[in-house]
Amino acid sequence: MTVDHNTLVYAAKTVGLFYLLAMSLAVLIYVFWPRNKQRFDAAARAILDDEDGPWR
Amino acid sequence: MFGLHYKLERKAITLVLAIIGVASIGGIVEIAPLFTIDQTVEEAPDMRLLTPLELTGRNIYIREGCNACHSQMIRTLRDEVERYGPYSRAAESQYDHPMLWGSKRTGPDLARVGGKYSDAWHAAHLANPRDLVPQSVMPAYPWLGRRQARIDDLGRHLRALQALGVPYTEAMIEHAEADAYGQAAPNSERGWGVAERYGEAANVRDFDGQPGAPTEMDALIAYLQMLGRQTAIAEAAGDAP
Amino acid sequence: MLSELTSGQRQAALIFLALVACVGLFVAGFGGADPIAAHGWLVLGVALISAFAVLTRFHDPEPVADRSGSYYDAPVKAGIILAMVWAVLAMFVGDWVAWLLVDPELTFSEPWASFGRLRPVHTTGVIFGFGGNALIATSFYVVQRTCRVRLAGHLSPLFVLWGYNLFCLLAVTGYLWGINQSKEYAEPEWYADLWLVIVWVAYFVLYLRTLARRKEPHIYVANWYYLAFILVVAVLHIVNGLALPLSWAQAKSYSLFSGVQDAMTQWWYGHNAVAFFLTAGFLGMLYYYLPKRAERPIYSYRLSIISFWGITFFYMWAGSHHLHYTALPQWVQTLGMTFSVMLLVPSWASAGNALMTLNGAWHKVRDDATLRFMFVAAVFYGLSTFEGSFMAIRPVNALSHYTDWTVGHVHAGALGWVAMITFGAIYASVPWLWKQKTMWSPRLVEVHFWLALAGTLIYVFAMWNSGIIQGLMWRTYNESGTLAYSFVDSLEAMHPYYIARAVGGLFFLVGTLVGCYNIWMTIRASRAAAVLEGDHPAPRPALETGS
Repeated sequence: MTVDHNTLVYAAKTVGLFYLLAMSLAVLIYVFWPRNKQRFDAAARAILDDEDGPWR
Repeated sequence: MFGLHYKLERKAITLVLAIIGVASIGGIVEIAPLFTIDQTVEEAPDMRLLTPLELTGRNIYIREGCNACHSQMIRTLRDEVERYGPYSRAAESQYDHPMLWGSKRTGPDLARVGGKYSDAWHAAHLANPRDLVPQSVMPAYPWLGRRQARIDDLGRHLRALQALGVPYTEAMIEHAEADAYGQAAPNSERGWGVAERYGEAANVRDFDGQPGAPTEMDALIAYLQMLGRQTAIAEAAGDAP
Repeated sequence: MLSELTSGQRQAALIFLALVACVGLFVAGFGGADPIAAHGWLVLGVALISAFAVLTRFHDPEPVADRSGSYYDAPVKAGIILAMVWAVLAMFVGDWVAWLLVDPELTFSEPWASFGRLRPVHTTGVIFGFGGNALIATSFYVVQRTCRVRLAGHLSPLFVLWGYNLFCLLAVTGYLWGINQSKEYAEPEWYADLWLVIVWVAYFVLYLRTLARRKEPHIYVANWYYLAFILVVAVLHIVNGLALPLSWAQAKSYSLFSGVQDAMTQWWYGHNAVAFFLTAGFLGMLYYYLPKRAERPIYSYRLSIISFWGITFFYMWAGSHHLHYTALPQWVQTLGMTFSVMLLVPSWASAGNALMTLNGAWHKVRDDATLRFMFVAAVFYGLSTFEGSFMAIRPVNALSHYTDWTVGHVHAGALGWVAMITFGAIYASVPWLWKQKTMWSPRLVEVHFWLALAGTLIYVFAMWNSGIIQGLMWRTYNESGTLAYSFVDSLEAMHPYYIARAVGGLFFLVGTLVGCYNIWMTIRASRAAAVLEGDHPAPRPALETGS
């Protein structure tokens, strides 16, 4: 198979676009999935509790 | 299903793979097609290679960081074409490892500076720019004229470039040191070979006005006088931006 | 620092340093007249001095058997001090070269002291020396606290820090001796690049192993940013650095890429070095230190994840906006422009997230200069990402490219965002690390803040003015249809702005010196307190009073 410039440009323009859309969708679903909300809130608060050393 | 996602995320390595996947795509998409670009770029059949002395000059240009203040890329804009000459073509830097397009013009563009000024002007200007241009903020390079250019390992330089695809011939590699000497010593026997191997357009003359082995000044001026004169494709196109 | 190593680890360190010294000697011997020989001697010298430092502490008492009950902060402390040392050095050189553009005679008539060799010392020194050390130190700090676990290793954190600083040293001494491969922000030659790859792999493995040991179920988002920084910088550095050396004993190499490919690779690297070194890493810093100092959780954790993936994705496409109107194919330019504009969304999401976190804590921003550093950093982050997207638009770029506007933009980001968030993080960490209630002098933090802010504003406004004037003068035509100004005319017009810029830089440098003094005094106060308590580590009352 010979890959010429136009093929690559075409692939860049189409696959790139779908990749972008799919990725955005995946991230949005992950972020707004109801069950994840609790975990995110917990993580955001967790760094504020100070401890003097690692957990054992 | 998202319980699975949760488990995956616990493993830091998944995050690593996701980052690589997401981040690499842009670079691959932009850069990969450029390696087939020779299929679309105009050709420059008259393209002349850098002589060993000019290559030495180019390496001095890099060593001194000239590219921090001088670009070598004329954009396709009317004022740039009028100020500096026909806009730069991709083919013109096809053998530049690395390219020196630059990103800042504290000083003017040099893409087509070759032949614009005399050798003596360059020698005086490099020694102290303010002797010729009082407002200049360019550093003075008085030591260039005092230091011998290192030419004994030039064969190795050409060999490396040949390995990267620059079409230096075996004869060019073999005579690299002699050609470097000869280019700045026009009346010596070694001077003849330069035109033979690099074409009549190659400048063979005593650039810094000092006889003997080439100095760093010779090399740098030889390089500057060559800039924009490797091929005539840009002039031939009779430019309109 | 070495007292936390077991005797076995001290031996291992010595063996390793001996090996490095041998490599140095080998290179020095075979390098002959080549400039690489000087670097051989340098490596030998550094290895011997380090080995001597280990030897003087070799018979110190062993650390407690189980070290996993405390955080490993020695490399964090060392990294912060190194960051400040590099900051002073590199900002001094930066201001020096700024004055050289005011009066080019303000230097010695020596090759090493010319503008072209000093400039990369400044850029490498601030980006990699100051920024890099700050990133490594804070990443070690943050990953331990957010994972509630000690760093996974004792020698490797020290190796990362030591090796990284050796790389920086090779880089800046190389420029002064004329070793430079010309690629912007990647000037060091092949052997320094290879060394950085080794160091970086060790850093990555260490980080990943620490994450794997974490006690928290969720990886806090700051670590995502740090991880992206480590990973992507590795990829960028390796690809952009591909080169063919003349021989194993010569410094000079030729880049694998040429012409337009090289230009794209270079700016793919250059722009993403901004993205993943100067943005992602420092956003990691922001997402930990800002909520911590404000004592409020981040405004929207979800938004921080969305902007993380947005930045990771969009930035990679944006590099070609450095090559508008050049010989690069136009579709690549358009792609770069489009994504640069879209990049504004995740960038402003991050800046907005930071500012919304402070909403309700404005009295703290008013009273606490450390938090104010972080606040100003977030504002400048928002400003310079907006400016960046704006400058990536082709017609704007036609005016701004090649001018001082770019320099102004870079410094709005570097001084206003990167340095400010770093100083904020350092002022927050130093008292925590050296067990003090506050910095030695909160007033001096205040002084530093105002010097830094004034310096940044003077610098950025000077460069905006000069850049736009320059761009306009270059393209102005007179009535007869010819160019109105020569290049030298535009150069003369820059003079007052170059003076202002150098003064702004001086303000910033003085602020940094004030910061160093304050940190030094804080450490001294901590040592004095330790002596008072009987020269042994303070007991941890928190454990006794708990439950």
